[in-house]
Amino acid sequence: MGREKEKEKPSEKALNLLRSRLSDPNFIFRSLSDSPDSNYSKLKFLISTSVTEACNNSILLLGPRGSGKVACLKLQSHNASKYIRIHILCFLILYCLRLLMQIRLNGLLHSDDNCALKEIARQLCMEHQLLFSKVASFDDNSQFMIAMLRECGLAHKTIIFVLDEFDFFAQGKQRLLYSLLDAMQSVNSQAVVIGVSCRLDVDQLLEKRVRSRFSHRKLLFLSPSKEDTERFMEHILSLPMDSSLPHNYAAEFNGRLKKILSDERFKELIDTYLSFNFTIGHLVRFLFQAVSYMDLNAGFLSLGNFKAALSSNQRQPKLECIRDCSVLELYMMVCMKRLEVKEQTSYNFCSVMTEYKSIHDSFQTSDYYAANVCLRAFEHLLQCQLINFIDNKGHNQSVEFRPVKLLISSAELHQGLKSYQQCPAILLKLMDR
Amino acid sequence: MAMEESPQVTRRATRSYSASNTAIESTNPPESYKPTINDLGFRQQPLRLEDLLSSFPGRRSQILELLRLLGPLNSPMFPILVYGGPSTGKTSVTLQVFRHLNRPFIYSSCITCYSPRILFESILNQLLFHRKDSGHSYSSVKRCERPSDFVNYLREALENVITNLKGNSGKVSSKMSGRPDGTMVYLVFDNLERVRDWDKSSTILPFLFNLNDILKMPEVGLIFISNTSPDTYYLNIGYVEPIPLYFPDYTEDDLRHIFMANQTNSRLYASFLDVVLRPFCRVTRQVDELAAAFSSLFKKYSEPLSDKEVAPNEEMKRRLFSHIRPHIASALNETFQVRSQPLLKADTNQETKKTNSSRMPGIREDFDKIDFHMSTSAKYLLISAFLASRNPATLDASLFDSTGVSDSRKRKRKASEKSMDQKEMAEQELLMKGPGTFPLERLLAIFQCITSLAEDSLDEEESHELTVEGGSRGLMSDVLLQLSSLCNANFIIKGGSCPLEGSTRYRTAVSEDLALKVARSLKFPLSKYLYRR
Repeated sequence: MGREKEKEKPSEKALNLLRSRLSDPNFIFRSLSDSPDSNYSKLKFLISTSVTEACNNSILLLGPRGSGKVACLKLQSHNASKYIRIHILCFLILYCLRLLMQIRLNGLLHSDDNCALKEIARQLCMEHQLLFSKVASFDDNSQFMIAMLRECGLAHKTIIFVLDEFDFFAQGKQRLLYSLLDAMQSVNSQAVVIGVSCRLDVDQLLEKRVRSRFSHRKLLFLSPSKEDTERFMEHILSLPMDSSLPHNYAAEFNGRLKKILSDERFKELIDTYLSFNFTIGHLVRFLFQAVSYMDLNAGFLSLGNFKAALSSNQRQPKLECIRDCSVLELYMMVCMKRLEVKEQTSYNFCSVMTEYKSIHDSFQTSDYYAANVCLRAFEHLLQCQLINFIDNKGHNQSVEFRPVKLLISSAELHQGLKSYQQCPAILLKLMDR
Repeated sequence: MAMEESPQVTRRATRSYSASNTAIESTNPPESYKPTINDLGFRQQPLRLEDLLSSFPGRRSQILELLRLLGPLNSPMFPILVYGGPSTGKTSVTLQVFRHLNRPFIYSSCITCYSPRILFESILNQLLFHRKDSGHSYSSVKRCERPSDFVNYLREALENVITNLKGNSGKVSSKMSGRPDGTMVYLVFDNLERVRDWDKSSTILPFLFNLNDILKMPEVGLIFISNTSPDTYYLNIGYVEPIPLYFPDYTEDDLRHIFMANQTNSRLYASFLDVVLRPFCRVTRQVDELAAAFSSLFKKYSEPLSDKEVAPNEEMKRRLFSHIRPHIASALNETFQVRSQPLLKADTNQETKKTNSSRMPGIREDFDKIDFHMSTSAKYLLISAFLASRNPATLDASLFDSTGVSDSRKRKRKASEKSMDQKEMAEQELLMKGPGTFPLERLLAIFQCITSLAEDSLDEEESHELTVEGGSRGLMSDVLLQLSSLCNANFIIKGGSCPLEGSTRYRTAVSEDLALKVARSLKFPLSKYLYRR
């Protein structure tokens, strides 16, 4: 397959387009941000008032992961300048590009106060072409930040602090949050602090001194309604008619897509998926999978693609693990289950071995192996996390003696045994008792 | 994983290893070699799709799905989690897929990168084309320990690489110069389950899983490879999970295909597999373990044949089967210690042998004789350690009295009649507790008792002139030295000190079988001294 030939294929081009759309949050959330009462417009209003009225503000964006909190912000910063240009007095236009600056922190990376302030200083220095010193202390950095806030306030510049994974900043002494919010109280500055978190109770984590300085604005991000979802999927998946793609192809693609989207079976499928993963992020991931299953030779999406994506998402990892086990490992698990039924609260390899031996003695099974082979099977079970050590202490104790517990229920084990092809009949019998 | 030795060949431990493995090393000294952007590709002739599929029997659907998820050239992707049991071809398939696609990627394994700093620096070194050498005293290109620094450096480095790749994609003859295709850079994290062990603060896993959101670069693809299924990565902060791609264990038919590849006498090997594959599959389906067991078994199987090239007929098959049958039964019970057998004692396996023996001294007792050398006093010490951790300390006096032996028997008879339940409970407790601990003094006392006893019995019998026992003083000499060497060999484990007494306590991991074997080699009546409940 020459690469030149591949490039000519419209289906490949379409696939590329769809994939880059799905991984571009700006494109995804644009369709959802149109309505006037959306979170997006509320946020836009908040930021624009703080720009025009030169005041400080703080807000929390809360919602499950993948519901578009950060994307909303990103969209915001792209469009804020445009918004100002239209609605605010003309003299601002000249400055509008430089009027807003964004400082982004992520709780996963900067939960340490020192580190966070350093990052703020670094981003401020980058923005204003100042020299950033790596060795500056916490005090230096916080003084620098306050001075910068004052300067920016004087120049009518708004700094937006975006604190992603806000709950991580609320751990420990919360020095960063305090110094940030305190600076906004006392200094004549112009800043917005936006916290983003997937914990709904995050404002309860704040200390008293921090909470009192925080404006208790919250924006909740909910999952989209059914109509929104449908509109959204059509927006994402349909091909543009005015691009370099052949017109006929795009038209047929869209026609077929519409047919799929209106299909009852498809709606049912999406409902099952959304019933356990309901955020936009999950939906996008699902669509991505379906799109990448698209048959390039046919060049069109089919219902089968979506079905395949759904089935790859509905996995039962524990049952898969059982299917990967050997017969000997099944024996070990059944022995453990029997010990549990006998109300023996804790067991280790040695007690499992005695049970195994007693099973062999009473039923004369063909699968009786030496202790070392069984130990190896036992370790394999540990490795694939079907069983686990009860406690973390006793590291110098060898594996045989450390107590373990089974991580699957007896119903799961039973189901796994039933679906196992070469499962010895004796095991099922033992489980039934 | 089509051939038995392919994992070693195709799997790259590090990039520098692969770089030195290709033609470069033979032509120039390693110092003068500077990695370039070409090193981000696989640096070998790209595989055709048919070759790729045929070299991994039983992995067809997985390969095709991986290719689909990676998508056509220059198309962004979502993170992927490749998972499946050990030796199911996860890493090899992923790497060979990149060889087929000829796209740039960065590989780092969380086994070799056993701390956040090493992981971050190894990725940056590869991205910035840095190679550790003596010129800068083997330092990395950037020093970074925190995820925050790493993200900044990574973004910078990735932007450089991507602009570099973009400039390069304009040229038409990119295929000729061996340059990787496309402008996507893929980061592959292998053995992700190891991160749970070394990441004590548990910040790295959430960081890695959210790396895609943090970077927000559509030109970067993330691939995680893990032994365990996604549900074992439970994080309390939550994340949008990567797309799972499951590699199931090979079925029996797949295994047959795998083992049939590259056999000189395929008919003979097929008949061999007919015999051995089914019983072994009941114990394990891992290719690496089976390969080790089969290689020695096949030698035994073809032993009676003078001409190894001959194709077997029915009658010969039967003859061979009856020849091999006793070996299968014994090999099944030794499946996992084949490597420490004299058959494979070749120097290639020395380090595996070492790790085996140091890990599980109590496991390898299944030989008829003890397969290691031990001085007599060390043997006595081992037996006394075994006794000390099995018997309750209160019974020492009665057991090692001259009349103690019969005493314990009486006691046993009395107890067994009455309370079976209690006995069962005690047995369970013993199993759960494992061997008990003992202080050094007790060990030495028992040691002295049994050595003197052994000499007494020898004196009374006067049957053999055993030269090994040179009087009690001779045996007692440098016993502490022996003890420390037993500790080092992991026969005796030095436990924590007792909080009340403050002295170090010991425990032994030796199993009863091994202790009995040692005792037999000394003609020591061990069972007499074992207290049975």
